[in-house]
Amino acid sequence: MGYYDIDDMLTEGSEIPCKFLHDIPGLGYLENNPGKPIKANAKLMLPYWLAHILAVVDSGSIDDNSENRMDDERSVPFIEMSTPESFSQKVTNAIKTDPVSLDLHSINPHFYELALKWCGLYSDKNLSEIVSHLLIQRAQEINNFAFSTAIQNKNINSIGSITSSNNINDNKNSNDNSNSNNNNNTHLLASSSFLMTLDELEKQVYKKSHESYKDSKRWMYQNK
Amino acid sequence: MSLPALLQETFSPEEVQFIVENQKIKIFPRITTNKRRNLSDSNNEGNDDMSRWKMLTMDGRALETMIVMKSTEVTLWLALLLKQQSKCNIIIPEWLTVRGLELMLQYEKRNVDRFSALPWDWLVVSEILFKQAADDFNDPIHELRNRIQDLKEIRQMKVLQGLKYLNESHLQLDNLGILEINELRPFIVTVMDKLRLIHASGQPDEEESDEYGEGNADDVGMGTMLNSDTNMSSSSVPPNGTML
Repeated sequence: MGYYDIDDMLTEGSEIPCKFLHDIPGLGYLENNPGKPIKANAKLMLPYWLAHILAVVDSGSIDDNSENRMDDERSVPFIEMSTPESFSQKVTNAIKTDPVSLDLHSINPHFYELALKWCGLYSDKNLSEIVSHLLIQRAQEINNFAFSTAIQNKNINSIGSITSSNNINDNKNSNDNSNSNNNNNTHLLASSSFLMTLDELEKQVYKKSHESYKDSKRWMYQNK
Repeated sequence: MSLPALLQETFSPEEVQFIVENQKIKIFPRITTNKRRNLSDSNNEGNDDMSRWKMLTMDGRALETMIVMKSTEVTLWLALLLKQQSKCNIIIPEWLTVRGLELMLQYEKRNVDRFSALPWDWLVVSEILFKQAADDFNDPIHELRNRIQDLKEIRQMKVLQGLKYLNESHLQLDNLGILEINELRPFIVTVMDKLRLIHASGQPDEEESDEYGEGNADDVGMGTMLNSDTNMSSSSVPPNGTML
């Protein structure tokens, strides 16, 4: 992933519940207490990019001129991260029961990327297995949708984004046979409600595969 | 590269067609290419160089001399060119007949989890020939078209079924055609790549072996260093057996 990858940045902006392990002067504004120190054991949501460094860095080793720091504090990092909402028991249970109907986008729009980072940080084999299971199951469904929308739009010019093909269906409504049209519309409705639940990565997969099916389709038809 | 993202990771169907057009196909020429020499020999000798002209194919080999109605093998694009000028008839390959396709269809229906051994360019070649060499077929084209369509659909269903077994390390794509693989490529590659990353991120070996290598380097020595090295390389380059 590139340094300027917008999805990477947005992923790292996901907030993670953290607990401060030290009193830190001047940081009170994070808790809406400007000018006051932040207390040890204060719980706060911090973005991943900040939290994962503070949770790893030794508070002792970072500033050598700290005379008042005690020796036993040396190995304790600044904060402790706890499992974010996205990977809580509730969510993993939901994943296990029905991966396909899960609204992943509302849980976290960058679920997979965050899971990747989280698993990498804690070597969480259990979570990585659940997530890959989730991806396989949902990929199936995504592919089905990408494939069938590509098939349904037999008119080459009408193959476009979902919204534009929707418009064309509306136009067709007036003159074409309404039976197949209803099918198309219900299908599009079902697909769009499923597509709303996709995570950013899944959207990318959908777009790419849809594009590719569409391309092959276009080639097949132009040859006739 | 200034190519659009989609073309960087896969081929467009047009590119696939271009690749396939370099395949050999048999034709019946309606012209004889060395006839000119006989003519020029009798008429004037000054034209000798001109008469020994050779047609070149893309791979740099001289084209075989074509003799009327004697079958010869040329690249598909050349065959199509000659066909357009009605200088040859294309010999339709064995599998592209009602009988051949029927056999393949039966195989597809019998073996739910396998693909019939159609040539890798079957979809492209059949489309091109239907369009440009329609009069060379012995069987009615619409029947062939129907069977090709059936084959395409039945194979597509199998592919969709097969995607259930997607995993992070390998994928078997025996007998799938280039166009079929091409249209699946973006989907499979992205999903498998993510699966690979997710799988690797859950494996503890990468970070731990790294720490081992640093921490125990002085008291154990080469053995662990090598070990951690191999661990590192195996985790950074996972078995990626995609045949894409």
